[in-house]
Amino acid sequence: MANHYLISKGNWDKVLARVIEELMVYAPFVSEGNQEYQLVENEQDISQIVYNKAKPASPLKTFFLPVKENVVTEPAKSPGRVILGVPSCDLAGLDLLDIFYMEEPYVDPYYKEKRENTILIGTDCFSAQEHCHCTTYGVNPFPEKNHDLRLSLMNDQVLLSAATEKGESFLKKWCENGQLAAADENAARPFTEPAAGLGKDLSGKNKHLPGYERTGVLIGKSSEEIWEKYARDCVSCGACATICPTCTCFLLIDRPDFDKVRQLDACQYPGFARVAAGEDPLKQKYERFRNRYLCKYVWRPEKFSALACTGCGRCIEACIGRINKNELFAELSV
Amino acid sequence: MQETTTKTRKGHTDPGNIYTPLRATVDKVIDESPMIKTFVLIPESEFSFKTGEFIELTIPGIGEAPFTPSSSPLETKRLEVTVMKAGYVTDRIHMLKKGDMVGIRGPFGRGYPLADMYGKEVLILGGGCGFAPIRSLLYNLMAEKEKFTKVTLCYGSKTPEDCIYKPFISELRSIDNFEVLRSVDKADESWEESVGVVTILLDEVKVDIPNAVAVVCGPPVMMKYGTFKLLEMGFPENKLFLSMEKNMSCGLGKCGHCMMGKYFVCKDGPVFTYDEIKDQPDIWL
Repeated sequence: MANHYLISKGNWDKVLARVIEELMVYAPFVSEGNQEYQLVENEQDISQIVYNKAKPASPLKTFFLPVKENVVTEPAKSPGRVILGVPSCDLAGLDLLDIFYMEEPYVDPYYKEKRENTILIGTDCFSAQEHCHCTTYGVNPFPEKNHDLRLSLMNDQVLLSAATEKGESFLKKWCENGQLAAADENAARPFTEPAAGLGKDLSGKNKHLPGYERTGVLIGKSSEEIWEKYARDCVSCGACATICPTCTCFLLIDRPDFDKVRQLDACQYPGFARVAAGEDPLKQKYERFRNRYLCKYVWRPEKFSALACTGCGRCIEACIGRINKNELFAELSV
Repeated sequence: MQETTTKTRKGHTDPGNIYTPLRATVDKVIDESPMIKTFVLIPESEFSFKTGEFIELTIPGIGEAPFTPSSSPLETKRLEVTVMKAGYVTDRIHMLKKGDMVGIRGPFGRGYPLADMYGKEVLILGGGCGFAPIRSLLYNLMAEKEKFTKVTLCYGSKTPEDCIYKPFISELRSIDNFEVLRSVDKADESWEESVGVVTILLDEVKVDIPNAVAVVCGPPVMMKYGTFKLLEMGFPENKLFLSMEKNMSCGLGKCGHCMMGKYFVCKDGPVFTYDEIKDQPDIWL
């Protein structure tokens, strides 16, 4: 059971003002209609943080897996930081990333360092974006896992629920006496009701979409024609994979003196699976396009218990060919 | 296998970093055929592997490529990799000279299940540079030869001059329960063995299938037709051990380049039984 606390918005802003003196704090801001994580640098920034809105444009993974990172000579050191306003779709996506990058015997020291030095403050979504479909895959639009604190803002009151010891210690360290008031379930309920309601709305709106397992079954039975049809507008830009909170693939680039750079990669790029002698199982564009969905809904579930799609909808928003995978799955399911 | 420390086992100079290679010096370069060379490497610290496991060979500033060592897994002070010139990285590897410094990451993956072969007859089908992993397996089989009822190697190459490991073949032929059959696609006057694709050698082999296992390693086309022929002969699907080749890059089951359906060839393989992979897509590509 989480411990709930209430704090006034004014006091919460004061807490943040102290935190940014010592830690890097990232939070969502809206600029020109675009919601994005940015570094919180001063009190003016604090006043403009966006609360309880659905996901920022970039996925949370970019904090743990930068596009490019030296993984040999640079020490795996990361400053303490706080990421505020993380939606549940991104938090759920950490399950798979953690398996990939932190499971023995091959622990990625760079990822691990960043994960351990980051405090995640998840947020309830009070509203959804056009392509949000988390509930289709069993993810609710409020933090349920992988967060240290859960936050909601209503009527100038902030509800903070500590989910981990790290979250609890954060509050103890940064909130001054009298700023935090313990709250019970009844007091917390008004803050948690909007996201619960949104979850029901999303389920209703997306009831035509097949669930996670069913999607895998449908993909397994699909014909090549439907993939050729939807891949026609694909330009192999890889945006869907880059922006995906659960896509994990990367390229290792060798530099002189045994240095190495880990760079995010995408199975959508030509040559991704090509071997030295020239054979390439993903030679055709539609094969690469299909590969990403086979990976997410068929192969990953066969090997891992973690979701490989959390229904954030970013791949639909990012696609310059305007390919909507949900239209594809809806078509498969009729 | 002898016991080794964790550090040696994982092979990294920095046990805390999976991306850091162990440095090794090129001690000798052996020309095996016009396209294939063997590089004898002396690692900075002892390096051990099990037969069929692979390493990533690092050429600083150029790239890495996956190879199953071709030397004996019983040796830890030196390591041999046999490399066919096939692309960007292997072109550069072929330019290596004695004294050059390279990197080794690994060993990675799941190799040949030696213990499952004890008491059995081992039939090995190899082609071209696919002899490399097989040679390391054969070193293990030779070291414990009394544990196998019979070992048969069927090896194919394009021409007589493409046949690699010639001295090793003579060594194998001198062992009592070992037999070597070779074929070339195109013979010259000096060739006294079979002519044709490697699978024709299987017609000449007498094998006690219920008490045998088969190992296949070679180029994709040979893997495919070799496997089909062995199945046709009556080998059970779970007694056929295939060394799969994909674009193994990180070796850690992370980067995704070597995915073969649900499997990461680098971590779950590269050695699979046929029944494990028969339903996965594009296994012969």
